[in-house]
Amino acid sequence: MSIPKLEFPPFHLPAEAEALRGEVRAFLKETLPKIRSEDRFASWNTPSPEFSRALGAKGWLGITWPKQYGGAERSFLDRLVVTEELLGNSAPAGSHWVADRQSGPLLLKFGTEQQRQAILPRIARGECYFSIGMSEPDSGSDLASVRTRAEPVPGGFRVNGTKVWTSGAHRNHYCITLVRTSGQHGDRHKGLSQLLVDLKTPGVTIRPIINLAGRHDWNEVTFSDAFIPEDCLIGNEGDGWIQVTSELAFERSGPERFMQNVYVLRELVRVLGRQPAKRASAILGRLIARLWTLRQMSTAVAGMMQGGKSPAIEASLVKDLGTIYQQDLPEIARTLAESDATTEEDLADFLDVAQYASMMAPSYTIQGGTTQVLRGIVARGLGLR
Amino acid sequence: MDRDTRDMLLETASRFFTERAGKDIVNGVEKGVWPADLWKEIEEMGLPLIAVPEEQDGVGGTLADLMALLRVAGEHAVPVPVAETALANLLVASAGGKPASGPSTVALGGLSLQGGRVSGKVARVPFAGVAERFVSIIMAGGKPTLVVVPRDAVSIEDTPSHAGEPYGTVTFDGATPEFSAVSPVSADRAFELAALARTMQMAGAADKVLVTATEYCKQRVQFGRPISTFQAIQHMLAELASYVAATIASADSAARDADEGGLEKGGSFSIAAAKTQTSDFAHRIAALSHQSMGAMGFTHEHILHHYTRRLWVWRRDFGSESFWGEKIGESFARAGKDELWPALSESRYAA
Repeated sequence: MSIPKLEFPPFHLPAEAEALRGEVRAFLKETLPKIRSEDRFASWNTPSPEFSRALGAKGWLGITWPKQYGGAERSFLDRLVVTEELLGNSAPAGSHWVADRQSGPLLLKFGTEQQRQAILPRIARGECYFSIGMSEPDSGSDLASVRTRAEPVPGGFRVNGTKVWTSGAHRNHYCITLVRTSGQHGDRHKGLSQLLVDLKTPGVTIRPIINLAGRHDWNEVTFSDAFIPEDCLIGNEGDGWIQVTSELAFERSGPERFMQNVYVLRELVRVLGRQPAKRASAILGRLIARLWTLRQMSTAVAGMMQGGKSPAIEASLVKDLGTIYQQDLPEIARTLAESDATTEEDLADFLDVAQYASMMAPSYTIQGGTTQVLRGIVARGLGLR
Repeated sequence: MDRDTRDMLLETASRFFTERAGKDIVNGVEKGVWPADLWKEIEEMGLPLIAVPEEQDGVGGTLADLMALLRVAGEHAVPVPVAETALANLLVASAGGKPASGPSTVALGGLSLQGGRVSGKVARVPFAGVAERFVSIIMAGGKPTLVVVPRDAVSIEDTPSHAGEPYGTVTFDGATPEFSAVSPVSADRAFELAALARTMQMAGAADKVLVTATEYCKQRVQFGRPISTFQAIQHMLAELASYVAATIASADSAARDADEGGLEKGGSFSIAAAKTQTSDFAHRIAALSHQSMGAMGFTHEHILHHYTRRLWVWRRDFGSESFWGEKIGESFARAGKDELWPALSESRYAA
């Protein structure tokens, strides 16, 4: 019994992708100052419909999709470059993020022709935004235990239940909702389906769940006898589990798993000044080296996926390391700034940045698969279970 | 060499190291027994000449081929100077010299060259205790000059490494080189290449540590079942795998960049970042693997320490994470915050 060898074959992004990087960078340089949201340190969870529409107008949303659905038929590596630049420049990508990354691809793969035509072009224009209706009060990491029930009725489903941690439901148009359409609670993977829910449907109530930083990102979405038409079923009735697992794969190894708070590093560089002490330079350099490594790993995973492989273990390792990096970063940066910031004003300003980043940090190792779930996946890959 | 040829060479080397450079040989070197037969066979396979061009009687491989070989050597804790000799030979050949047989090493930094004589002292020269010659690159008359100094022209104080390999402090007191020539590779670049070599050896060792700890936990039964079935152990090994993965990925990326950019300057930043990364995580890899194996892995009897002790030594060799991290940090600070992402995404120093 030998364990599989971990490999991260170095991968170069192709020349077209790098050329696109230049275009995106130039666009962001011009656009971001005009669109700055109230957040000083935006990322993929900071919404800005204005920015998303501008990005859509450039043809950079749904970039890999067929042209008939508003896509650009470009490669998945082109998409990676756009993502990297949005994150690297702390663009407010929150409005379109979920729609572009996972809801659109899910509809493309499993949706009906009518659903694709109605929705994908709007996502690609940066006009149509999605939430994820997976978790429930009693279903977190154990997603197969969902209780929200969609009872078949003439012409559709009557839905009852509650979804939680539903990011952006108060701003977005749709929520792809995982429901039980047949069988009993406890049947696990069987009898689950995904519904395309218009968030304005009567019987759907959205209430804020405020997070510890005082932000309203999350919501509780309650279904009380909400009628969802049958043409809103995504894929086949009963295939919900397979579909949702494929959707989760989009959530794992992308650069958002290590670049969400890259603004901390950028601000750290600013407050340390142009000539930090040797020790401060060394600590800064170690943080930069870790980020560089994560990017090499993520690019290698993309290369393997481009080559037709499914590097599930490698992708899980990227998320594990990347999210822990994002938790270490504000803490290491904070103590370094305390000893080495060039001025008192810079230090005070930076400590606010770091404090905010530290408050957000616990979410990184929870969303998109907790560290413990990921380590279970890796352990299985190592042949331990 | 092409991909198939390289894979075949690596497979042959791996099998050879498994058979001929096992536990007893590694422990023997620690007791001061030089494995002459092992070295002879390594030379017969051409490994120290892997990156020397064919027209200079070498194997004609690339820098990437050499680095891939060193990862395999690291995976077997090969206790002879394959890395040092192959690097020395590559440097000599690039300066137009002819590599000699026998173990060599590099003595980098701290030397001066005046009137054709080499002076100065270099500490922690790897395999100084067994090397037949010392290769260095010294700035002289505004040009990097490569010198090859024979063993009998220097004095050596033995300072074995904490992995038990024959490191030493080498004093050059007006030593006369047996060969010297202008070098296309600068002194700093030679140091970078040596750091890259260690990075690859660390990747190999890290890989072996993960395999060793994982296999052990599958075998070891406590409370009536293999300890690998306990979630606490599974998560610990998964975490170990993440640090090993970072080590491997950074080392391989740096080797690729160094090779593509050429012997004289390729992948400068990537090497610095990779040596910082591998050195930074060496402790975590050692700590978790030892924790997973309990007292068993802390004995001299077990082979785990062949790898963990090397990780601790190699992270210090040719610049630790502090040394290379400082270079990176200085550069990014000097360039300012807006250069951070552009430089990082292009794997280059910021300024």
